[in-house]
Formats: sequence, structure tokens, C-alpha cells
Amino acid sequence: MTASRFSGWNSLLLSGLLAALPAWANDLAGPRYQIQGFAAQGLIGSTNNNFFGDSRDGVSTEFTEAGLHGTWQPLDALRLSGQVLYRRAGESDQDGLRLDYAQADWRFFQTEATQFGIKFGKVKLPYGLYNETRDVPFTRPGILLPQSVYVDNSRDLLLAAPGFFLHGASVQKYGATDFLLGWVRPDFNSESVEYVFLGNTRPGKLEGKGALGARLRWDLPTDTTLMVTYADAKAGYVPGNADPLAAGDVRYRNLLFTLQQRLDTLTLTAEYGEPRGKLSGFGAALPDSARTVQAFYLQGEWRFRPAWELMLRHDLFYRDKNDRNGRQFQAATGLPAHNMFARDWTLGLRWDATRNLMLRAEYHYVNGTGWLPGPDNPAFFSREQYWNMWLLQAAYRF
Amino acid sequence: MAHARFLFWRLLVLIFLVSPLAASAGIIVHPGVEGRSISAANLRNIYTLRQTLWPNRQPIVIFVLPDDHPVHEAFAKEKLGLYPYRLRQTWDRLSFSGMASAPIEVRDENEMRARVRATPGAIGYTSKDTGYDGIKILRLE
Repeated sequence: MTASRFSGWNSLLLSGLLAALPAWANDLAGPRYQIQGFAAQGLIGSTNNNFFGDSRDGVSTEFTEAGLHGTWQPLDALRLSGQVLYRRAGESDQDGLRLDYAQADWRFFQTEATQFGIKFGKVKLPYGLYNETRDVPFTRPGILLPQSVYVDNSRDLLLAAPGFFLHGASVQKYGATDFLLGWVRPDFNSESVEYVFLGNTRPGKLEGKGALGARLRWDLPTDTTLMVTYADAKAGYVPGNADPLAAGDVRYRNLLFTLQQRLDTLTLTAEYGEPRGKLSGFGAALPDSARTVQAFYLQGEWRFRPAWELMLRHDLFYRDKNDRNGRQFQAATGLPAHNMFARDWTLGLRWDATRNLMLRAEYHYVNGTGWLPGPDNPAFFSREQYWNMWLLQAAYRF
Repeated sequence: MAHARFLFWRLLVLIFLVSPLAASAGIIVHPGVEGRSISAANLRNIYTLRQTLWPNRQPIVIFVLPDDHPVHEAFAKEKLGLYPYRLRQTWDRLSFSGMASAPIEVRDENEMRARVRATPGAIGYTSKDTGYDGIKILRLE
């Protein structure tokens, strides 16, 4: 997996980007490149269930994030950027070092107030407020993103993919607007994504066919942000040896609404999404089905000191809009109902100890196992409905 | 130790006394930049990386002091109406996603003036509204 992510023109683009750096190093007029990076280590403890490693009644150290980001502007209208990421998250993410993204962005129309461009390569996917920088600890509202909307289980699908996006932005009296509209070939090929769509790891593999993505954002002069994200992705299943599943199709659609209001040192954020998943043609072992997920969170962040921030969040996740308490699911499958939902109260504290060092602490009280990482908790019946989790994270930037 | 603490308090008192000066941060630009004034909305669009060109389509090069520098804090709050941490968040989200470059950070006001003077299209700020050779001051509308 790792090897394939480094192959081909992606690595060419990145090595070209790095090789070109020294030429601009001493330019007083302002460098045409920027290099920045981060490294973060987390500690996780929990009761009853595991999250990112063996955290149950112990401490998991298996949450590590590090990234090196570079951007280079060979021309005023052209920007090349990419990021190499190291990530370890328990059993769910053991890929280690990878090329996160590598894109070229060409601004073919620019005026003082308006700009249009096209970005292509392995591009970052626009999805809600936090997705494009979801692995950069400083840009997140907490150690973990709200799992309802930003499910870490299907992160591979949301991260970055080969394709292109048209984008435009404009600043006017009524505020700033921008849009992105594009096509990519999404990455369905991971154990966690298989868990999400096919309920378990399967002998074959899911291959992304294509996805349409769009995002519209409006920043009002009242420090309000409104946003709508839409995605429509398709994947096909390639059966493995002695596979009970046939070559079926997966379709995933999502409509996500975002609202953020900033008031002095207070930031209030809400996002609501209704991802729809549809399975067809997998044969008798996995009957055709269509389900609408409901994901919502409400979050408050308060900078009570210049370097201190408190965060409180309520996060709701229902795997089936029409079966929120999971009773129908339990009756039909015999599996515990709490697999179908998760309600999470989160309290977080952030301290920007120095300009380079951020320390965070976070506590979760969760009712339900709806987004519990499958690979960390393989035994269905030993998952428990009520669980607690605390996390500590130290993040360094340069 | 006692001496160091005394110095610290002296410094605090000094900062308190000169703070009215620090509060009137002046906006400086490269002399090649057209115009004599800038609107508050434009200034905010520039520093939140939404406006990337001057009216004559010359690229804007943005300079900033460190996040915890008193002159930066005054500039961010009074001229932009934003806390330094919000600016940093905006820059981080745009730069790490490959959509823009964060402003160029300089160590102190001397370097700020030197870089703005030497960089076509540059914008920055200083603690005093006084003129310097080879630098233009923009009035905030």
C-alpha cells in the first residue's frame, strides 16, 4: 500500500518540488516556497472498548502523526504543493509513511477581487470545515475530530484522491464566497472502509470508480460561515478467492451543511450530514440495501486566555436514520443495537505552551459504538454500549 | 533572581507607558504600491489571504511579526478586528491544504521595514506612524 502511494508521477512531482528549493533560499524579496511541518504524539486510555490500539483499561501510545508540507510557486499563477504524512492509529491505520497529497494549482484568472483556478494531481478533497487539514493537529478543534461527520473509519475515502477541482473565490460587500467542483477517483481500498460499507473485512477488494465533489462557502461580514458540501462516489467490488460475495457495487452520496459563528473569543460550530450508502449486486450473502446515516455535532470553543482554549461538543451519529436506536437492526441480525448509534459528549482543553508546542487534553463520554474502529474491536459481542475515553496529545510544529 | 524580577516589572511598566504608541500601528507598503489609503475590508481580505493582488494586478507579498509580538497583537486586534490565533488558524488551514502561502514572518520591526522596502508589492506594519526612507505609509479608511 505504502509503496503504491509513492509510485509514479506523484513522487516525481514531490522530488521536483524539493529539489527546486535551495534556489530561492536567500531571496530577500520573499521566498517563492514554504516548508512547514509537525509531529504529534497521543496517549489514549478508555473503558470497555478500544480506540486506536489497546486503550481499554490501559494506555495506548499508538496515535502518532507527523507531516512535512511544502509549497512552491514557480510562477505567480502556479502553485505546487504536497505533504508527506506519517500516521499510526492503532489497528486502524498502520500504513506509516505515505504521500498525503501532491497537487498543482493553476490560477488562470485573477483580479483584485476575484480568482478562478484549477487544481489537479492527488488533490485534497473538500469536505466540511476540517477535512483538508484533518491530520494537522493545530487546525483541529480537538485531538479527535467529531467522529459523526469526520468518521476516522472512512478517512481514506475523504482524504485525497487523483483527479481535479475547478475553484473560484470572490470578495464582495456581502462577504467572501468560494466554490470547488471536481471529479476524482476515490480510494475505497482499505480495511476500515470495507468495515464501513461491507460490515467486515472481505476476501476481495473495493475499487473506487469515480466521485463528484462540490463545496460552496460563504463568509459573511458578520463573522458567520455557511457551507454546503456534496459528494457522490461509486465503487465496485472485485471478489477474492472462495468469496461468498459477488462483484457488487457501492454508491455513497453525502450532503453536508456547515454553520459557524465567531463572536469575539467564542466560536460556535455545527455541521449536519446525511450520508447515504447503497449496496447492490453482492449476491445472497449480502442482500441489496440502502441506508441513510445521520451525523450532527454542535461545538463551542472558547479562548479564555490568549494561549488557552476550552472546547465542549455534543456529537450524534446514527447509522440508520430510520432505525436510530438500532432495535430493528438487532431484531434482524441478532447483533447488539448499540452498533447503530453513538452519542458523544466531549470536553477538551488546549494550551499553546510556546509558539511551536501545543498540549491538549480531552475527555469523551460515549453512549453507543456506532463509530468504534472495527479493526481495534474485532469481536462484535464484546463491544460495550457505554464507554469513556481520555486523550492527551503533544504537538510540535516548525 | 530578585534583580531579574525587578527588571521584569520595570519592563511591564514601560510597556504599559508606551502602549498608546504600540496601539497606533501603521500600515506600510513598498513605494511601488499605488494609492494612499486602504479600506479596513481590503486590509482584512489581504491578511486573511483572500485578496492576493493589488488593484494593478501586482501580487501582494504579506509580512507579519511573530504571533506573540505586541505590535502584531495590536495590529491584528485594532486594524483587522481579529485575534492573532484566528489569523494563525486561517493561515494554517489555507497553507496546509495547498491553497495559499502563509504570510512571511519577520523577527522584528527593523527586519519588517527592510523587507517591505526591498519587496515589490509588499505590505506590513510598524508600531509608529512615522515615515521611513523607501517605505510608503497607507492610511486606513
